[in-house]
Amino acid sequence: MDINFSDADNQFRQEVKDYLENKYPKHVKEKQNNGEQLTKQDMIDYHKSLYEQGWAGYNWPVEYGGTGWSPTQIYIFQEELGYANTPTILPFGLNMVGPVIYTFGNEEQKKRFLPDILEFNTWWCQGYSEPGSGSDLASLKTKAVRDGDHYIVNGSKTWTTLAQNADWIFCLVRTETTQKKQEGISFLLIDMKTEGIEVKPIITIDGDHEVNSVFFTDVKVPAENLIGEEGKGWTYAKFLLAHERFGIAGVPNQKYSLKLLKERTKDFADDDLKKKIADYEIELSALEFTELRTLAALANGGHPGAESSIIKIKGTELQQKLTEMYVEAAGQYILPYEGPEGFNSNNTPASNVSDFSSQAVSRYLNFRKTSIYGGSNEIQKNIIAKAILGV
Amino acid sequence: MNLSYSDEQNMLREQVLKFCESDYTFDVREKIVESNYGHNPKTWKQFADLGWLAVPFSEENGGFNFGPIELAVIFEEFGKALVAEPYLANVVMSGSVLESSSNELAKETISKIIDGATQVSVAFSEANNGYNFHDIETSVDDGKLNGVKTVVLNAGFANSFLVYARNGDKSVIYLVDANAAGVSVNSFSTVDGQNCGDVTFENVEIGESLIISHNNDASQAINAMLDLANLCICAEAVGGMTASYLKTVQYTKEREQFGQPISNFQVLQHKMVDMFMEAEVSKSLLFKAMLQLDGKDDEASKTISGLKAQIGKSSRLVGQAAVQLHGGMGVSDEMSIGHYLKRFTVIDALFGNRNYHLNNFSNL
Repeated sequence: MDINFSDADNQFRQEVKDYLENKYPKHVKEKQNNGEQLTKQDMIDYHKSLYEQGWAGYNWPVEYGGTGWSPTQIYIFQEELGYANTPTILPFGLNMVGPVIYTFGNEEQKKRFLPDILEFNTWWCQGYSEPGSGSDLASLKTKAVRDGDHYIVNGSKTWTTLAQNADWIFCLVRTETTQKKQEGISFLLIDMKTEGIEVKPIITIDGDHEVNSVFFTDVKVPAENLIGEEGKGWTYAKFLLAHERFGIAGVPNQKYSLKLLKERTKDFADDDLKKKIADYEIELSALEFTELRTLAALANGGHPGAESSIIKIKGTELQQKLTEMYVEAAGQYILPYEGPEGFNSNNTPASNVSDFSSQAVSRYLNFRKTSIYGGSNEIQKNIIAKAILGV
Repeated sequence: MNLSYSDEQNMLREQVLKFCESDYTFDVREKIVESNYGHNPKTWKQFADLGWLAVPFSEENGGFNFGPIELAVIFEEFGKALVAEPYLANVVMSGSVLESSSNELAKETISKIIDGATQVSVAFSEANNGYNFHDIETSVDDGKLNGVKTVVLNAGFANSFLVYARNGDKSVIYLVDANAAGVSVNSFSTVDGQNCGDVTFENVEIGESLIISHNNDASQAINAMLDLANLCICAEAVGGMTASYLKTVQYTKEREQFGQPISNFQVLQHKMVDMFMEAEVSKSLLFKAMLQLDGKDDEASKTISGLKAQIGKSSRLVGQAAVQLHGGMGVSDEMSIGHYLKRFTVIDALFGNRNYHLNNFSNL
């Protein structure tokens, strides 16, 4: 065992720092540091920048255009991205459908989809949840009926993050009504421009438009867009969820936010808050090493399994705890709130912490989602109970 | 960075595990605790024969030159089996203080500890200093040691004491024979069945030859001892938490109520998942702490404070939930499960509890 980074690792870290300092889009950095919302183009810009650097597939194997980095390198890369306060790399293409395609897709599909995912030419969204299928995901009803060379898809998906920007959606659809509900599910890729698809915004309690409803009416999808075998979609979905949970904790971003919070509160005469911050920092450190232990297991040929559920639960609990402390630190100044975009420059509250306070409450409300999405934390506990404790 | 145990470390774990399974069942342990404060000279002799008493000492002093990682491995397994032998007091605490000294007397004492021929306890805590271990009144004036040390671990079995005292404006650690004139020991059973005591020094004759370390070296030796001892008992708690959740899962599968195993109830399942998660994240932080201590990282002390605070919280949750899920059996002395809770309670109280370390972490 050895906690130290090798010279090569340190050199690699410097390379990442140099990139973030010199090549990462400046307008994105500026907006991030000012707490401004990013536009669709901003988001495309920073993903493209990563691609140009050759790092978009930071956790992909070399044969599919990935970096083939070691777990330690991935860790360093993510840590530096977090320290530089960069926005999250969108997971839908790179961490979700990408790995499903290169693991279960055919050669044709790999050639067709993977390069565009890496280059961020296509924006993906995730079609899993339905109005009647949340935690009981396998009860999903969106139907795909085979008709010659096509499937005809009818139904609806919900909570679809950034569907308003998406070019493609990967969907779990029911291709057969089976006794065991998991067995009739298939994994289908659908072009969002296809006729019969309608996207409607859902506004969340922070006032933001992040998630959507997506409706499918007689949508014609070429059969070649089916991943793997018909009826095996649940297997691929579980594979994807285990990958999704991995990195969901956002430890490096949390470290950055913690640093800001400590700076912000250093002169507060509030021992209770100081203790809470210490407790949070210790827990975050424990979570970080839980991730590192999982990475080490992966490097030794393991797969992210039920253990990633711990990271999901603990990581999201800590994210939420952090947003709570921000709100506590802001006190009464959280009251003036004009939505996630902040204040109109002609009309700002007198408090000199107004931006901080507004962002604090915005994030607090927004982050309630974290213990619900990606399989609610209660579902994660069911997974651990069954898969690890065997009860 | 590499987070895998070496083959040697895995073999050590295997050895301790096998010993605990064959020679240290809960029944055996209970007899030792009831009859002799958790210390069985026969078991101690086995420890010596297995070479365990030599683990952390340098090769120069006749040891294996193992570090915090190997000690953590041993303590994790000890924690699972609730081992009550005075390994912490002798090998870890006295060992750490003695190993830091270049004094001949220290070297001789180490070799006797390794052979199992002597027992030594560090007498540092006092009645009125709480966790401010450097705020001491025990002192040497005109060659005579006076003062009272409290909560000295394993005091009843100690042949000598490493006494942390003041001499003028210097701090000094002396090695004092338990049979020396003016030394009296008043020992007690601890809440978890081991032994600790008050040691009174009344005009005990002290010569230069008994100095193990002094000045900054002395206070640093105490700090280093506290870090290592905290790491070890945290590893012990991680082992205890692992055993607690595994035993609880087993019990709920066997216990039937309302016509089915109570493990079928989701409210209990989620509680057990909480126990499992607390054990795992604690273990993760233990990794960080032992690796930093092993690498002599500047942050090690802070991380150990963090670890101790985390263990205080996690082990309380696990220990209490384990008792709760065992129902009435959980509070019955004949079951092992409640004894983990007792040990966790002692571990939190030792060398700075959760509150103390949370403050400490916050201020470092």
